[in-house]
Amino acid sequence: MLIQFYNVSKIYPNGVKALNDVSLKIDRGEFVFLMGPSGAGKSTLIKMLFREEIPTRGQIFIASRSIVRMKRKEIPALRRSMGIIFQDFKLLENKTVYENIAFAMEVIGAKPSDIKYRVPELIKMVGLKGKERCFPGELSGGEQQRVGIARALANQPLVLIADEPTGNLDVGTSNEIMELLYDINRKGTTVIMATHARELVRHARKRVIMLEKGRVAGDYPDGEFLA
Amino acid sequence: MILRNFNYFSREAFRSLSRNRLLTLATISTVCICMLILGIAVLITVNASNFMQHLESDVEIVAFIDKSVMPSQVQLIGKEISTIQGVKRVKFVSKEEGLEQLQEKMGNKNLKETIGENPLPDTYEVQAENPHDVPEIARTIEKIDGIYKVKYGQGVVERLFEVTKWVRIVSITVIVLLAFGAVFLVATTIRLAIFSRRKEIYLMKLIGATDWFIRWPFFIEGLVLGTFGALVAVGILALAYNSLINNMQMVFFLPLVVKSEVINRLYLSLVGIGALLGIVGTFISVNRFLKV
Ligand SMILES: Nc1ncnc2c1ncn2[C@@H]1O[C@H](COP(=O)(O)OP(=O)(O)O)[C@@H](O)[C@H]1O
Ligand SMILES: [Mg+2]
Repeated sequence: MLIQFYNVSKIYPNGVKALNDVSLKIDRGEFVFLMGPSGAGKSTLIKMLFREEIPTRGQIFIASRSIVRMKRKEIPALRRSMGIIFQDFKLLENKTVYENIAFAMEVIGAKPSDIKYRVPELIKMVGLKGKERCFPGELSGGEQQRVGIARALANQPLVLIADEPTGNLDVGTSNEIMELLYDINRKGTTVIMATHARELVRHARKRVIMLEKGRVAGDYPDGEFLA
Repeated sequence: MILRNFNYFSREAFRSLSRNRLLTLATISTVCICMLILGIAVLITVNASNFMQHLESDVEIVAFIDKSVMPSQVQLIGKEISTIQGVKRVKFVSKEEGLEQLQEKMGNKNLKETIGENPLPDTYEVQAENPHDVPEIARTIEKIDGIYKVKYGQGVVERLFEVTKWVRIVSITVIVLLAFGAVFLVATTIRLAIFSRRKEIYLMKLIGATDWFIRWPFFIEGLVLGTFGALVAVGILALAYNSLINNMQMVFFLPLVVKSEVINRLYLSLVGIGALLGIVGTFISVNRFLKV
């Protein structure tokens, strides 16, 4: 089992109870939607996966390692096993497409020769060939998210974590990005994606975990979420 | 591995320096101004302490020998004085020499004739290893048989030592306070520089960079900024101090410290302090951005 939540609750310092007794399991290779209205606690749950937040109560295991008991110096290794993509892309504006992707490898100390080999591969994979030297400001939203995905995959993560990756994109572009994510999942990477876009989720016919007011309101296996 | 990372760190540091020109300039100016003020304070202190040493080393004891003492005994008294702990030099001044000195001082060629018989006693002029021991030594000399009076500027000397002590305490306090102020100022400027890159740091953290990997380029940046700022400050100080030495020595009658070893060591320490300032400032500032 890749990810396990046991009775996880999160109360923020300001008293907001973002998650309430959440238990769930996600296996290697799955594609899982975290569904729920705004404020349901999706982002909070996502942030716990890479330990930006820690639970107030409960336990979280990732690849059998407790996130709660994890020491500070063990966090980088955890995060290197994950790729993260964001609603607002979080690209560095002063770096080119190539540099933004290479950045992810540089900051974990990858060899320059590995970087030179891997980055063009990634650029081709997300369909951005010819745009290597563009700056983010010169790209469309969909293209920017492709850069974000390439960066997230640079270090060959076990799991790709996405918080509303299509939130800033129109329907057509969203579908293109979703196809890319399905493709990545088919090649073996676990994908966990938070979204409030019901339509998109319904078409996907993947596993759906419904969150409502910080609780798990339903867990639908592949193809069973029809609402 | 380490060399490769070092290349990356330096490249990142210099890229960031040239990218954030305004902040680079602001930090260098801050360091430079801090080091200038610090350097001026240190130069003043060094010169004041040099001047005080001059004043203090001028303090000497004059022991007056009773007129009834036999010349053979006078020599013994001299020996006894030179065995007192802390005495550096003992010089005998006979009453004839004393009179000549007095005559010279007063500029009166006929003094000898005017006063007839020499009224002055034989004296010993005593210098101490450490001027601060003078009162103590004077008391010991006073107890020797055949000495009827000891003079060293009683009262005035004690006050001089009191003043020099306070000048030293105050100047060291001022320098320490200035150093703290400099660290704070530089840390604040560097915090601004780091703040402008908080998004990048956040990303690095989420990608799985270690804290040290993130810190290193900032340390190199801090080191470069600190050293460069201090170098500019030392350049300005050296120019100013040299022209002061060349032009002002006559005006003030102050014995300015000109020994190049002393001054060069001082300049070198200032550059070192500047570098340290950059590193410490970075250390204080960078950690708060790593808490992700
Ligand atoms: N850092 C935070 N501090 C305090 N409250 C927060 C914080 N982050 C989120 N919340 C609150 O927690 C609840 C869940 O938020 P979030 O996890 O962002 O939900 P979602 O992503 O599903 O919209 C909301 O009420 C939100 O206001
Ligand atoms: Mg959210």
